[in-house]
Amino acid sequence: MLHRAYVFLVYLFLIAPIAVVMLASLTTTSFVTFPPKGLTLAWYAAIFAHPEFVNSLVLSIVVGVGTALVAGTFGTLAAVAIARERVVGAGLWLALLSSPLVIPTVVLGIALLQWYTILALPAGVVPLVIGHTVLALPYVVRLVCAGLAGIDPSLERAAAGLGATPLQRLRRVTLPIIAPSVIAGALFAFITSFDDLTVALFVVSTNVMTLPVRIYNYMQFNYDPLITSVSTVMIVLSIVLVVVVERVIGVGRLFGKTAAQ
Amino acid sequence: MRSAWAFALLVPAVALLAAFLLAPLVNLLVTSFHVYSSTQGITPRWTFDNYTRFLFDRFYLDVLLRTLRVGLETTGLCVVLGYPVALYLQQTRGATRNWLTLLLLSPLLVSMVIRAYGWVIILGHNGTIPLYTEGAIIIGLVHVSLAYMVLPILASLEQIDPAVLRAAANLGASPFTVFRRVTLPMTFPGLLAGCVIVFSLSVSAFVTPSILGGTRVKLLSTYIYDQVVSLLNWPYGSAIGFVLIAVSTIALLLFGRALRRSHTDVVLG
Repeated sequence: MLHRAYVFLVYLFLIAPIAVVMLASLTTTSFVTFPPKGLTLAWYAAIFAHPEFVNSLVLSIVVGVGTALVAGTFGTLAAVAIARERVVGAGLWLALLSSPLVIPTVVLGIALLQWYTILALPAGVVPLVIGHTVLALPYVVRLVCAGLAGIDPSLERAAAGLGATPLQRLRRVTLPIIAPSVIAGALFAFITSFDDLTVALFVVSTNVMTLPVRIYNYMQFNYDPLITSVSTVMIVLSIVLVVVVERVIGVGRLFGKTAAQ
Repeated sequence: MRSAWAFALLVPAVALLAAFLLAPLVNLLVTSFHVYSSTQGITPRWTFDNYTRFLFDRFYLDVLLRTLRVGLETTGLCVVLGYPVALYLQQTRGATRNWLTLLLLSPLLVSMVIRAYGWVIILGHNGTIPLYTEGAIIIGLVHVSLAYMVLPILASLEQIDPAVLRAAANLGASPFTVFRRVTLPMTFPGLLAGCVIVFSLSVSAFVTPSILGGTRVKLLSTYIYDQVVSLLNWPYGSAIGFVLIAVSTIALLLFGRALRRSHTDVVLG
């Protein structure tokens, strides 16, 4: 009983900040307060009076999809090389591909800012997708490696024995079997990109700004509840994404395996 | 032939990391050994000062110690809050368990900026733990990293053969003794793995300390940001960056050694 109450309190702690942001968005006051005073959707309408937030949301989605595609493709190919083709030095390659995990994002951010300046690469979708792909690659590689560990290698050997070229084998046998892990990896890459503030903070410009950076900058100087309604839209989008993922492949699969690393 | 194909598959990912992780980091490392002058910016002269400076800079040393303290306290709190949750999840079955797992993971899908902002609202209205303090940062970090503690502990709990627990109980051990002498030691690998993840996440976190620490409480990550973005002192900022990498790498190695030892402890009794 005591155990149950304790766990309930921990869950309350987990939900609290998210629930508070969502509820605070309904306030009629011109400043953020909790509990909200009155009940209005005016702060949702206010989003449309700030096209920069809508533009940032669109940019975040574009960058997220780009990251999902690039990290999903590159990561899957690398995972097949490591877990299936038994490439020479597989352990070493896996360590290299996991290395972004041990680099603090703020360090990656300043390193990329300096590097893009040297390369004279202007702010835009491409540098953001590159930075987020670096962040997301380890997750894709590990998820797909985990997925590959669960399937029988004799299927691919049979394909090879029947005369399939390596490319045909990859396209017609391996990829269809590991599709759920690849989708999970790509989704994880999207979420990593959609949530990232730190790397984007160094790479964006005033015209090209992802939603987390827009929210972060806005909250430094503004105290009106616009942030809470924008955040709620973002939260609802995430919830929709989770439900879709749950329906398609199961959330346990998306998280369980990466967390066990 | 076979290995050429395998290498070809590795090329895109490895080339991307070489060009946009390794090369920028090497470049930053070179910068960290340059002399910075407030009038000329980064000068071509070489120096170790950016690294030795912290030995004499009281402020810097405080930031380093505070970062380590925040990391340890966050890890400790995650153990205290997370272990009972893992135990509860392990004892629960069916739909309840699925829902509880989903609830545990769902905050991970909400942007860290938004979660930190939620704490700004809560702590701003309730003065028990004021905003812009170490306490506020720790609350935010515990919220961000709790799931990473619960999941590895849960994985360890799942591996315990229930017969072992029944045997201990049959031999007269009280539930508490079973927990202390059997369950806890057997989940040590998971517990340590959780500690590694949470500690390295919290010492290198930027979003949460930046929003909940404000301008008042600086950790290494937010200090780096200030040096580079506000003061444009790239050499010093990047030197602190490499100190931060060293801190989290050393922590990982120490935890890793403890992890291997605990594995042998469990096996050898």
